[in-house]
Amino acid sequence: MDGNGRWAAQRSLPRTAGHRAAEAAVIDVIEAAHTAGVEWLSLYAFSTENWRRPAAEVDVLLRLVRRAIRKHALALHTRGIRCRFLGVTDPRIPPALARDIADLMALTRDNRRMTLTVAFDHGGRRDIVEAARSLIRDGVPPEQVTEESFARRLPHPDMPEVDLVIRTSGEQRISNFMLWQVAYAEWVFPRVLWPDFRAEHFWECLEAYRRRDRRFGGVQAPAPTGKRH
Amino acid sequence: MNDAAAAGTDADPLGPGSMLYRLTRQARWGLVATRAIVLEAAHPQIGAALITNSTFVAHPWRRLRNTVLSSQRMVDPDARVRQREAARLNRLHARITGIDAEGRPFNAADSEARAWVVATLFESAVTMCRLSGESLDGPTLDRLYAEFQSFLALMDPYGGKLPPTVREFWRYYASVVEERLENTEAVHVVLDRLFAQVPAPPLLRDQPAVWAAGRALAGPAATAIIVASLPESLRARLGLAELPGTRTLMHAAYLSTRLATRVLPEAWTRLDTVMTMLDPVYAPQRNGGAPAGPPVLDGLPVLEGLRRGAAKAGALLRLLTPDPETASDGDSTVRSASRFFSEVLDQTGDGHLDWPDLAAMAREIATRLDLDAQDEDRLFAAFADWWRELQKELDTDGDGRITGHEYAAAAAAMAGSALVRIADVLFDVTDTDDDQTIDAREYQALFRTAFDHDPGEGDAGERLSRGEFVRRFLGFMAGRRHSGVYDRMFAQS
Repeated sequence: MDGNGRWAAQRSLPRTAGHRAAEAAVIDVIEAAHTAGVEWLSLYAFSTENWRRPAAEVDVLLRLVRRAIRKHALALHTRGIRCRFLGVTDPRIPPALARDIADLMALTRDNRRMTLTVAFDHGGRRDIVEAARSLIRDGVPPEQVTEESFARRLPHPDMPEVDLVIRTSGEQRISNFMLWQVAYAEWVFPRVLWPDFRAEHFWECLEAYRRRDRRFGGVQAPAPTGKRH
Repeated sequence: MNDAAAAGTDADPLGPGSMLYRLTRQARWGLVATRAIVLEAAHPQIGAALITNSTFVAHPWRRLRNTVLSSQRMVDPDARVRQREAARLNRLHARITGIDAEGRPFNAADSEARAWVVATLFESAVTMCRLSGESLDGPTLDRLYAEFQSFLALMDPYGGKLPPTVREFWRYYASVVEERLENTEAVHVVLDRLFAQVPAPPLLRDQPAVWAAGRALAGPAATAIIVASLPESLRARLGLAELPGTRTLMHAAYLSTRLATRVLPEAWTRLDTVMTMLDPVYAPQRNGGAPAGPPVLDGLPVLEGLRRGAAKAGALLRLLTPDPETASDGDSTVRSASRFFSEVLDQTGDGHLDWPDLAAMAREIATRLDLDAQDEDRLFAAFADWWRELQKELDTDGDGRITGHEYAAAAAAMAGSALVRIADVLFDVTDTDDDQTIDAREYQALFRTAFDHDPGEGDAGERLSRGEFVRRFLGFMAGRRHSGVYDRMFAQS
């Protein structure tokens, strides 16, 4: 969700106004992915590093997330979207938000049409460290540690590898996002700021991904997995 | 089967072959226990002990869970588990003494009173069978009675006894009802307050509106059913009129419990199952207090499906209803002194803080950890020290108890060294293997939940050091921070 701050600055609004405007983009992209038949969509909402932002901004962000969850829970559920969260371990997350997150996951756990993973308080390195810890704790002998067995220790091990990462506002960094899963991902970097990002931009990104696949692969990809950052 | 059962009776009147063992595992045992409580409350000794010391009005679900676990331990297949539980109950009751409103002393370990408790349970079990159209023949009745006699003997080996035969029992029962039972305050607390104000069980805690609506119907119905099944003369003495139609309602209720027990799959009408439905954290404990693993719902896909359905409905309801917490202090982890007073400290729910409130906390911890006599004494002594400290510093008008107002005015300035001692003792008794850390198993025993993500505290990790454990306890008790696990132990349920 890059570009909220710049979007707000261009309009001489406080940064938090950019976060508010981001909600429409989120809903539009979920809707577009759903219609396009994308089965796995992930959104990078908040990184472990984002806690370093000013407390007031973090506070507003947390409130916005909570409001969005409550507002859209039923719509997500009726569309058959399974909602999951990646991260969400920091004690600074307010109990009320933690409960809403748990409720949303419980409500939609049996849906299968599309899985929406919201990376919230997420850090790719932390996930890898946690997986390593769990292997050591269980005393797994080194020779038995393979890429596959390691991947099973990551959160949501049923999630397939990422096919496409979309990073908005022209930023070209990974920023600690699902480090393990993006190993073979295609990346696109549209210049549009996140609050302005709409379904048609999403379609363009999918189109770019399809062209690229045709050029390099020769293997027809299954239903593309949009990874929105 | 009769032979096997008879053999079981000779060898082991309380074990898995007994009628009591089966009865205490059926959901309708709850009906027996509830009716028996009314008869017990009318006994002056028991009524006084209930009214001054018991937490069942403020925390009925916790009390119910403890009672269920306790009665199941009393008929455990392992005789040592039964002995241990009987000894624990005796210690627990010996601590409940005092003087009632009319100046008469009472003692929860009193032999006559205890015989009456067992008598009411027997009589209520028989009544339940009779009203649900399941008459017990002579030999069966004798056998059930013998089991209750063994039950009392286990509890009170040197004390009072029930009459030797069933025939004499009915005379004894009638004479107690006629001569001993009174119109006590406790009876009316049970009938009027318990059913009308019973807080939501853990499953429905987040849907107060749903619960209140259901309770408005079920509360009076439950009262009517219980009242209609009481002995006629007692009903008159308690000033309880029988409303038209209540007898039919009562028969229908009892009949349906029997039908349910017969027709539904056995697992559905098991008490454990019902308890697990009401309180997802509840997990029946096995012998010796080893924490039970997954709940009893294994192998019950239908029930698991129901539970998931209920969980989903609950989640949706919570997400759709306007959030009550945002208006108050939902996002804050600190609560006000007066809320802490009413939610946590005032365990008996009578509006002031005195020794029975703190004793109830100590009792809850001792019950959960299944402490032996020595550890239990240490724990109660630490709580008694805290009570003295509270009295000295907060009881400004010197009436021997602390009001919510007195607490709110001065609590913040308290030194709280006695609380640190409680935390220390609590750590010691929880740390059963003495390795100076609380591991997952010990944590489970105390909090009845696995190490989990506690929103108020952050991730517990794999083990808790003494320092961290004490810090969390003090954070909850003194700093009044919300804490999932301590809230579940003292405030909710």
